[in-house]
Amino acid sequence: MEFFKPATEQERRLYYKEEWDVKQVPDFILDHLENREFGFDHFGRGPNDRYKVFNTPYYLKRFLKTRNPFAAYCSVAFYKKPKKRKDWMKSELVFDVDAKDIPIRTCNCDNVCEICLNEAKGIVNNIIDTLKGDLGLKNIHLIYSGRGYHIRVLDDEVMEIDSDVRSQVLKYVVGADIPEEEYGEMNEKYNPPHFIIPIGYPKVFTDRVKYSIFHLTKNSKIDDVNEKLLKDILKNRYLLEENNWGLFKNNIGPLRYKKIVNGIASLNMSLVDGKVSIDLKRILRLPSSLHSKVSMRCTEVKNIETFDPFKDAVPKFVWERND
Amino acid sequence: MSFINPLSDEGKQIVREDGGDLDRIFDENVPLINTIIENSSQGDLEIKDVPSNYVDLAIKRLEWYLRRSNDPNYNHKEFDFLFNPEITKFDVIAFYILCQAIGIKYGSNSRESRAIVESQGQISAQRLSPSILINHSNEEKRKIRLERRTIIEDTIKNLENVKWTSITDLLSSKKITLQELILDKGEIILDKEDFINRFEGEIHHRQPERMYNVLIGNKIKEIILARMIMQSTENYIKSVHERSSTVEPNPVLLKIAERVTEFLSKETLNYGGYGGYGGADAKASPLNVEKFPPCIRKALDGIKSGGRNEVIVLFLTPFLSYARLYPSIFGKKTSLKVSDVDPDLKITKNEILPIIHDAADKCSPPLFDDQPQEKININAKLGFGMHAELNLQHEGETTWYTPMSCDKVKLNMPDLCRPDKTCKGLNNPLSYYNRKMREK
Repeated sequence: MEFFKPATEQERRLYYKEEWDVKQVPDFILDHLENREFGFDHFGRGPNDRYKVFNTPYYLKRFLKTRNPFAAYCSVAFYKKPKKRKDWMKSELVFDVDAKDIPIRTCNCDNVCEICLNEAKGIVNNIIDTLKGDLGLKNIHLIYSGRGYHIRVLDDEVMEIDSDVRSQVLKYVVGADIPEEEYGEMNEKYNPPHFIIPIGYPKVFTDRVKYSIFHLTKNSKIDDVNEKLLKDILKNRYLLEENNWGLFKNNIGPLRYKKIVNGIASLNMSLVDGKVSIDLKRILRLPSSLHSKVSMRCTEVKNIETFDPFKDAVPKFVWERND
Repeated sequence: MSFINPLSDEGKQIVREDGGDLDRIFDENVPLINTIIENSSQGDLEIKDVPSNYVDLAIKRLEWYLRRSNDPNYNHKEFDFLFNPEITKFDVIAFYILCQAIGIKYGSNSRESRAIVESQGQISAQRLSPSILINHSNEEKRKIRLERRTIIEDTIKNLENVKWTSITDLLSSKKITLQELILDKGEIILDKEDFINRFEGEIHHRQPERMYNVLIGNKIKEIILARMIMQSTENYIKSVHERSSTVEPNPVLLKIAERVTEFLSKETLNYGGYGGYGGADAKASPLNVEKFPPCIRKALDGIKSGGRNEVIVLFLTPFLSYARLYPSIFGKKTSLKVSDVDPDLKITKNEILPIIHDAADKCSPPLFDDQPQEKININAKLGFGMHAELNLQHEGETTWYTPMSCDKVKLNMPDLCRPDKTCKGLNNPLSYYNRKMREK
C-alpha cells in the first residue's frame, strides 16, 4: 500500500460523490458560513477561483458535488462583504505546522511520512498546551491538513488582534526568542538562566529547547553550531532527560551553550509557517475536503492522542486502488 | 494614593470635602498658586506658567501630555509642579472637573475623553516612575520608593486580574511584550499572594517569594496599573455621561468642556496630532553602509537560496530609499513621494538603484537573469508604477513602500535576522540606522 500518491480526476469525483458530505464540515465553519470567503483550485495550479461565498451549507454542498475541485479552501477571516473581501470583521488565530517543512526531522523522506507527521503532531501538542495553559484560550480546533496540522483558535478575545500581536503569540508558543537575561532594577539585578525559572515564558522556552535538542540528528543544521558542537550536544543530551541543565551547560561550556540556544531559538521560529499566522486574510484548506496531491482527507482531529492519519484521513478510494 | 489614582476612595473623599463650589472654579485660587510656587525651585517656573485656578490646572495636565510627546522644545521644568505630591488636593479636583465637563458634553468616545484618559495614564505612570526622585536625599528616596511600592501593591491587590487579551494595544505598541508577562490561564499575574498560590508547586529549591520579586518587576506593575487607571477613568467619564441625560447640565461645566476642545484643536494644529516624536530629527544624508543593521548587510551580499525577490524588492528597496531620502518617516507620520525629496530623481538613480541592482546581481542565480521583471517591481515599490524606467509622470501610480519591520523580517526571511547589541529594543531596521547615524 503506497500513501501520498496524487488522486486522479476519477478518484476525486468518486470522493465527492460517495464519501464527502457537507455535514463533515465542522460547525465552527458552518456557523458563520455567509461571512467567509471560499477559494478553489480546479486544475491543481493553485487556488485562483476566489471570492466565492455560500450563504447556506446547501449551496456549498451543491458546488463541491458538481465541481469536484482539486482543492478547496476557506478564509480564516470573517467579512461583512466576503464576496469583495471587504469590511473585515475578525480572523481566527492560526498556526500551520507542515510536516515537510519542519527543520528538524529525524526521518529523511522527500515528502512526508509517518515519522515526520508524528513529529508535527508532537510540536502541535506543545503549542496547544501553551495556548491553553499560559494564554487561557479555549476554543481551539485542530485540523489535519493532509501533510501537517492547522491549529485554529476562535476565542473572541483573539479574533481581532493585529498581526504584530499575532506574531508575539507565535513567538511565545514556539519559543523563538531567548528569554530576558536580566531582571530587577538598578541596584538589585539578577541574571538567572532560563532553565532556573519554572514558569512563564522562560519555562516554555526551556521546554521547546529540550524538545528540539532531542530531535536533532547528526545531520541537523543549526546556525552557528558546527559539527563538533553538534556532536557534543548529542553526546550530552541524556543529561536533559532528568533536566540537569546546569551540568549540560557546564559540559558544553557557557559560550558554546549560548550558541546552541541562539541557534535553536531561530530554528524554533521555522517550526511553524509564520506567514500564515500573521496573515489576517489567509485561506486555509477546508476541513473535510480532499488534498488531491497526496490523496488524504483534510479533517478535524477530535482526539489528538488517538488520531492516526493513516486510519482516520485516508479516503476509501485509496484502499480500493489495486497497486 | 489619590496622587496616583484620583479615582481611589481617598480621591473621592477629597472631592466630597473640597470640591463643592463650581461657580468659583474660574476664580483665582491663592492656596493653589502658593503651593506651586513654594514647592518649585527658584528660576524653574515663570509666573505666567503657574496655573491660577482649577480650570487652568486641568488644562495644564493635558498640555503636559501633548507637549511632552509632540513638542521638540518641551521643557520638563515648566511642568515639574504636576509631579509634586503637595498639589494632590488640587490635582484631584482638577481631574474630576475635567472628567465631568467632558462626560457631560461629549461622552467617553470623544477625542476630548481620549485625551483625558491617555493623559491620566501617562501622569500616573510618570508619578510612579523613579525619575521623580532626583531632587531628594537618599533617605527620602528610600522612603518614597517604599511608599511607591506599597501604593502599587495595595492598588493591585484591590483590582481584578487583567487578561493579556485586554492589553493587546500595549503589546502592539511594544510598550510591553507578551514574554515579559507571567501568565496563567490567560491572566497576568501581578499580586504576590496570587503568584505564590498558583506557582508554589512548580518552584523547587527556591523561595517562591524571591522568585516573585525577581520575575514580576516594577516596570510591568506600573504599566498595567496605569492601564487599569485609564480604564477606570474611561468608565467614570462614561458614567457621568449616562447620568447627564437625566439632569440639566451645569453651564460652568459646559464652558470648561468648550475650553478643552478649543485647547486641543489649537495644540494638535501646532504639533501635527498625537503620537511619538521618535526619530523625527533624522536628516536625509548620503548612505553610510557601515551603519547598516546586520540584516541589511547580509542582504547586500546577495541571497544564495530561496526568497531572492522578497529580499531585494520588498526588503532592500524600501529600506535603502527611505534611509537615503526620508529616514525620519516613522517619527513624522507624513507620507511623502520620492520626488518630494529627490525632485530630479538623481539621487535615486545614482545612489540608490545601483546598490539594489548590485545586491540583485550578487544573488545566486543573479536575480535579473531569470526574473528581469523584478526590475519593474523595484520601480513600483518606489512609487513609480509598473514601468521599466523611473519617470516622474508615473509617480503615484503605486505607493512608496515603507521599510519592513523586524517582525516581518523574522517571519518572512528568518535567515537574515542575526541581531547585534544595537538591535535590542528596536523594531525596525531603519531605526537601527538612524540610531547609529546619530551616534556618529
